[in-house]
Amino acid sequence: MRTVWLVAVVIGPLFGASWSAAGPATCPLGVAAIKLGVQGVASGPHADYGRQIEMGAQLAVEEINAAGGVLGCRLEMRFMDDENRPAVGVRNARFLVTEWGAHFLYGTDSSGVAMALGPVLRELDRIQFFTHAATHRLTEELVAQQKIKQIVRVSAPVYQDAVAAWLFRDRRDVRRWATIGADYEYGYATWAIFREQMRRLRPDVEFVGAAWAPFLTTDFSPHIAAVMATNPDGILATPWAGEAVTLLRQALLQGVFDRIKVWFQAMGGSVDVLEGISQEVREGRFQGKLYATSRYVHNWPNTETNRSFVSRFAKRWNRMPNYSAETTYSAVYITKAAVERARSLQTDRVIAALQGMRIETPAGLRVFRSEDHQFVYAVPAGKVVWDPRYPIPVLGELKVFDPKDYWRWPPFRPLELTK
Amino acid sequence: MNDLARRWATAGLLLALVLLPTVASRYVTYLVIHILLLALNAVGFNLLFGQTGLLSFGQAGFYAVGAYTCARILLAWPSLLPGVLGGTVAAALAALLLGFLSVRHTRIYFAMLTLAFGMMIFSLAWKWRAVTGGDDGLVGIPRAPLQLFGLVVALPTVERYYYVVLVAAVLAVALMHRVVHSPLGLALRAVRDSEVRAEHVGLNVRRLRLVAFTVAGAYAGLAGSLLPPLENTVTPPIAHWTASAEPVLATLLGGIRHFAGPLVGAFVLVVAKDVIVRFTVHWSLVLGAVVVALVLGFRGGLAGALEALTLRGARVRPVSAAAGEEGR
Repeated sequence: MRTVWLVAVVIGPLFGASWSAAGPATCPLGVAAIKLGVQGVASGPHADYGRQIEMGAQLAVEEINAAGGVLGCRLEMRFMDDENRPAVGVRNARFLVTEWGAHFLYGTDSSGVAMALGPVLRELDRIQFFTHAATHRLTEELVAQQKIKQIVRVSAPVYQDAVAAWLFRDRRDVRRWATIGADYEYGYATWAIFREQMRRLRPDVEFVGAAWAPFLTTDFSPHIAAVMATNPDGILATPWAGEAVTLLRQALLQGVFDRIKVWFQAMGGSVDVLEGISQEVREGRFQGKLYATSRYVHNWPNTETNRSFVSRFAKRWNRMPNYSAETTYSAVYITKAAVERARSLQTDRVIAALQGMRIETPAGLRVFRSEDHQFVYAVPAGKVVWDPRYPIPVLGELKVFDPKDYWRWPPFRPLELTK
Repeated sequence: MNDLARRWATAGLLLALVLLPTVASRYVTYLVIHILLLALNAVGFNLLFGQTGLLSFGQAGFYAVGAYTCARILLAWPSLLPGVLGGTVAAALAALLLGFLSVRHTRIYFAMLTLAFGMMIFSLAWKWRAVTGGDDGLVGIPRAPLQLFGLVVALPTVERYYYVVLVAAVLAVALMHRVVHSPLGLALRAVRDSEVRAEHVGLNVRRLRLVAFTVAGAYAGLAGSLLPPLENTVTPPIAHWTASAEPVLATLLGGIRHFAGPLVGAFVLVVAKDVIVRFTVHWSLVLGAVVVALVLGFRGGLAGALEALTLRGARVRPVSAAAGEEGR
């Protein structure tokens, strides 16, 4: 009798667990749940970006499940740390698809990880919605040229940083530009695109200096000194995340903001950067000369969709949403729309359902560009200001430009990347 | 473990590895390829560390030289064998050159030199964009067919490629076993145990160290050159010093005094990490704790502990092998 009880105690919960895992058989797609594999950097100095990816995805999954799922199918999500290392990202993708059974993949912060994932996605035949990695090569080379159809990017690529040229085109007092650039593809591409746009808009502008800081630089003083020796009016800076905070603080210490007219911090509208320089902004130490953009800013657009998203996100996580949170959140909703339209989880059918998609998201209207599977949408640029309505600084005096003006458009010609 | 038991165990392991793709999932097969690559790197590293007494923190550099060379060859000439051989030879040449400069020193000075050279290779991978693709790396590397004696074997699946890696690994490990148990292996251990005595019996210490360094570099290069056809991509982080820690850790975990130590360590390290990352994003904390516990709990390494366990079960006295190491 004791043995029977023992068996019941051990086996019973297993049956219970398998029952609950299978769930009610109401999903018309023939699966117990639609599985979403998510990855981003969750360790090291950029870990907040991966955390934001996870929070954005989880919020969307919870909301969709609470509203009845996708065609009645429950969503199930699994997050993994890609450590910003391509080999780890590839291994995660293989695990998520072949072992865990992911139907769709999301995330990835690093361009290197994204480029490594591209060919593997073709082999696995799974769509990955990229929600942070910004290199233009992902969509221009791997999709438009090599026809890896499984790549879809929801976040704005490096094109977004060219918005600086449009932001300052009427500032006739800012003629001499220099860069403190990230010493890798992102920094080179940003500087190249910015110069290309600026030359077109303002032929009188000079590009007087450049200093390149490798990944994980902690002391920017030589880069700042080198650039300031060229006596620039404006500085375009591309180190991001914690490095951007360190760079800005060191620039303050070296009195840079007393000598320049504008500083454009490419991804300075990111929540982690704004949190990091909160005290300095509140004290006005940037003298109104610090400008930035992002791939989404939480105080724009002023729509019910965005306000509601920010409110729900802040309530759920006690943080403001970063761009990687919004892009991943939107990517899950884009998946929902595509699967509902395709009524299938098959890659070809879902991609067909994405064609011509125009979808309202917290960041505004996103439009699918079929040539390179890039969702196009506008993100404003503006001045970093303190607004008492928010717990952290925000971008103010926002200016919105049409992506048709400053994004790259097919047919693509190779970008000349020179230091 | 007596010789017969060891041979049975080896045969059983080989049989299991041969049958693996037929019984395991594609992901497990993929994971075992990574175990084999790390095992190759670690076996080479242990010739330098366990046998010769030189601790290198730059093996990732040679791994990367192998990977990038193979990738460039495959992009220009899609045939697997030239790619893998080219990568291995390039890594051996790089090791010969840097070894010539490094083996003049020992202990911490040698370790720091190898660390510096390894990071120089990392910087090259990061900066020399025309050749390496910079931080985005080289992408679209084909899993080229194996062309051998007029025979062309296509490798479209991970399972087929697994057998290429398995054959390469088995041959390389067998060759290393031969080296370790040869007079060269004895000479290397003599250098490790007493440099002065080795010189007094007429051994050219510096040359022997250079040979060990070059062979270790070639093994790292072989492992690296087998990576691009698997992943279709090569990026700079494979050259970073943190990647150099992997063969070191695998060897320490498995045991530096056992030939099988690096193989056991590679298995445990890859599997432990793969399991831990499934449960927590704080995997590094858990993995670190596991590694510390294993290193403190099994002083001679896991291979030694496994052997002791087997001996206790079989009540057999250890047989001192030609290497004079197993059973210590």
